Amino acid sequence: MSKQIIDAMAMQRALTRITYEIIEKNRGINELVLIGIKTRGVYLAQRIAARLHQLENTEIPVGELDISHYRDDMQLEKPAAKIDIKVDVTNKRVVLVDDVLYTGRTIRAALDAIMDNGRPVNINLAVLVDRGHRELPIRADFVGKNIPTAQNERIKVNVEEIDGFDDVEIDK
Amino acid sequence: MSNRYLILADGSTYEGIGFGSEATTFGHIVFNTAMTGYQEIITNQIYHNQIIVFSAPTIGAGGINHDAYESIFPTAKGVIVRDVAEVSTNRLKRMNLDKFLTRHNIPGITGIDTRALIRHLRETGPQKASIVDFPDDHAFDQLNATVLTTRQVDAVATPRAYPNPGTGSTVVVIDFGLKHGILRQLSLRNADVTVLPYTVDTETVLSLDPDAVIFSTGPGDPRDLPNSVFELMRQLQERVPLLGIGLGHEIFGLANGASLVKLPFEHHGTNHPVKEVITNALLYVPQGAGYAVDPTSIDHAKLITTHIDIIDNSVQGLRHRDYPAFSVAFFPDSAPGPLEGTTVIDELFEMIETKDRF
Repeated sequence: MSKQIIDAMAMQRALTRITYEIIEKNRGINELVLIGIKTRGVYLAQRIAARLHQLENTEIPVGELDISHYRDDMQLEKPAAKIDIKVDVTNKRVVLVDDVLYTGRTIRAALDAIMDNGRPVNINLAVLVDRGHRELPIRADFVGKNIPTAQNERIKVNVEEIDGFDDVEIDK
Repeated sequence: MSNRYLILADGSTYEGIGFGSEATTFGHIVFNTAMTGYQEIITNQIYHNQIIVFSAPTIGAGGINHDAYESIFPTAKGVIVRDVAEVSTNRLKRMNLDKFLTRHNIPGITGIDTRALIRHLRETGPQKASIVDFPDDHAFDQLNATVLTTRQVDAVATPRAYPNPGTGSTVVVIDFGLKHGILRQLSLRNADVTVLPYTVDTETVLSLDPDAVIFSTGPGDPRDLPNSVFELMRQLQERVPLLGIGLGHEIFGLANGASLVKLPFEHHGTNHPVKEVITNALLYVPQGAGYAVDPTSIDHAKLITTHIDIIDNSVQGLRHRDYPAFSVAFFPDSAPGPLEGTTVIDELFEMIETKDRF
């Protein structure tokens, strides 16, 4: 059984608030780079970039990151060359964007992948949903909504670009 | 019901039929384009010392209801309508508009060509006006000699703190003559509210350990308020999530270095289209403002313009770059008006939820 917990309006508002918080925390958008974690994190990163463009009239580069090769739960071979994230991160302020923060393992993998690409000034983490149950010492700097969950529940973020509509659902 | 007259400071006279109180009053004349919600408008304290002209052809068909008061005692100085409805079929009504105005000593005039009057006001701008029994030289002399107070806030804001208890977040409202709609929206979100007089100091506000502070709506020109108000805003915005509404928005702008411009004609209505800059989305919102923040005066290193009126490009919302503090010129409590503006209040509560992260 699935139940909607964030509707389209609230999701838009969360992304709007995260955008303002990014400006607040970074004291502007100098040297800012957004990196979305595939798949849905990329679309969320693009939406934040679109909002920053509306406000500041500046294009913020958006990178994409596929962390499959860096995951610790799959026996894929480490890539021979570093993964191309399409943006330069050295001396940048990176905001890593993902839809759901859960164990923290995805984020750890993403951090490894970013570090392989260069040396950023700092890395912040923005997530639409923080559902708890961390297995690593990782926390988000920008959170759309904290949603306490049970381990056996599943959080599904839908984005218009691929799912046809925006919302967040919880499956039991 | 006898003939009465509306006279304007520029010498024009409009004849109609009196209703409500028989008092002779003086006020600043403004027009409101709302189709509904006259009770909320008349009881809104931003209309302190003002004579309100309604552009909607018939006013009063909904009666006066218990759930549509925006203040306890309205302090408007007059109501000008094309046609006052004597009959209301609303089952919630307690009385008709005529009786309500009589009770609160507010005169009304019906039968005035409000379209012609509003066109005239759009050309000549806001001015003094008077509701009189006879428009002779004496009446005009009296009108011209009248000096309207610039201390409207003192007349309508609470002099004392009072609570509006709830079980949720602690919100302090600094009162400049608030609309009840603000408290209603806070109650809907279970907030534990304390309303404080605007003369309060920063320590007293912080001693209540608020999760958020709201600077309320109110009448008049904020530049007539004491400097302590702007200092209070500057100190609080650094420490706690903050929302300015209406007059509170103007104070937020002034406190952060912007200046105000007088609007060529005031914005009063429930149907103003406003663009949310960050998403390019359009909101229809209720407004009631005689001033707007001058866009050329905004220090972009400090403030972001968040909302713009798409009719005249006036600034309708601001946000601080460094703190979780923002403001809207329109009324997000939607009393009366479309509900979409209430998302501004949701934003404040979402700010409260996430403020501990920094």
